Amino acid sequence: MTSAELTLDRRRDDALPGDFAIWIFIFAELAVFGILFLAYAFTRAGNVELFNESQLLLDRRFGAFNTLALITSSYFVVRAVAAIKRNHAASCARWLGAGMGMGALFLVVKSAEFYIKFSEGVGLSTNTFYMFYLSLTFFHYMHVWMGMVILAVVAWKAAHGRYSASAHTGVETGASYWHMVDLVWLFLFPLVYVIR
Amino acid sequence: MHTTTAKASTATGIWLMLVLLTLSTYAVGESHLNGPVIVAVVLGTAFVKGQLVVEWFMGLRRVRPLWRLIMFTYMLLVCALIGLGYAVGLH
Repeated sequence: MTSAELTLDRRRDDALPGDFAIWIFIFAELAVFGILFLAYAFTRAGNVELFNESQLLLDRRFGAFNTLALITSSYFVVRAVAAIKRNHAASCARWLGAGMGMGALFLVVKSAEFYIKFSEGVGLSTNTFYMFYLSLTFFHYMHVWMGMVILAVVAWKAAHGRYSASAHTGVETGASYWHMVDLVWLFLFPLVYVIR
Repeated sequence: MHTTTAKASTATGIWLMLVLLTLSTYAVGESHLNGPVIVAVVLGTAFVKGQLVVEWFMGLRRVRPLWRLIMFTYMLLVCALIGLGYAVGLH
């Protein structure tokens, strides 16, 4: 390996995984979610009783289960990236499929939770807590859908041999977005379901 | 070689830690524990989980320190300010 190649490799190792454009998007998304989290936290400070009473009506099992689903999904996506780096495209596609399976489970459970709440007559105008609960979790829910579409495209391309050990930026790009969706939920779960 | 991904066994260990930390947060919620210390523990747990995902799942442990610092600071700020919001609500 020449010194020029070594320099190039070092540069690649220093860089963020995947396409840099997705990271601009990820940082912007994290900033938006961060502001929404703080808006929740400081609005709660002025309505502690209302927030605590309303929060107790949430089923924490849904929140915990969905956290486990996203964590496991993220883990499967890590395995997909590792597989393509070993040039195992079919294995990469299978791990991505497994990741999507856990993502789908999240969506089913979250949809059921929304359905139950709406059936109980809960809506955006019920109170300030539910306005935040529904807005925050629905905003995140839409990101999970978006992540599922991205993973589906990446999985399809992996299954059709479009990625390899030397050309897998697309897999890392999709994986980075999916981990961001997971990361946001790791803060959303304790904030909305647990802290009181 | 470009190797920002954890080994399979390491990734599995990280996943297991994330599962256990999630279950601990769920247990806190189910036992209806509250108060500043409990909230600090829950937020600390969320911060640790975030760091595990960022460093090991996103693979940022090998990238330029600036990017790691940005993510670290972001999560620290989010957790600290949520904690501050909680503290303000106590008064």
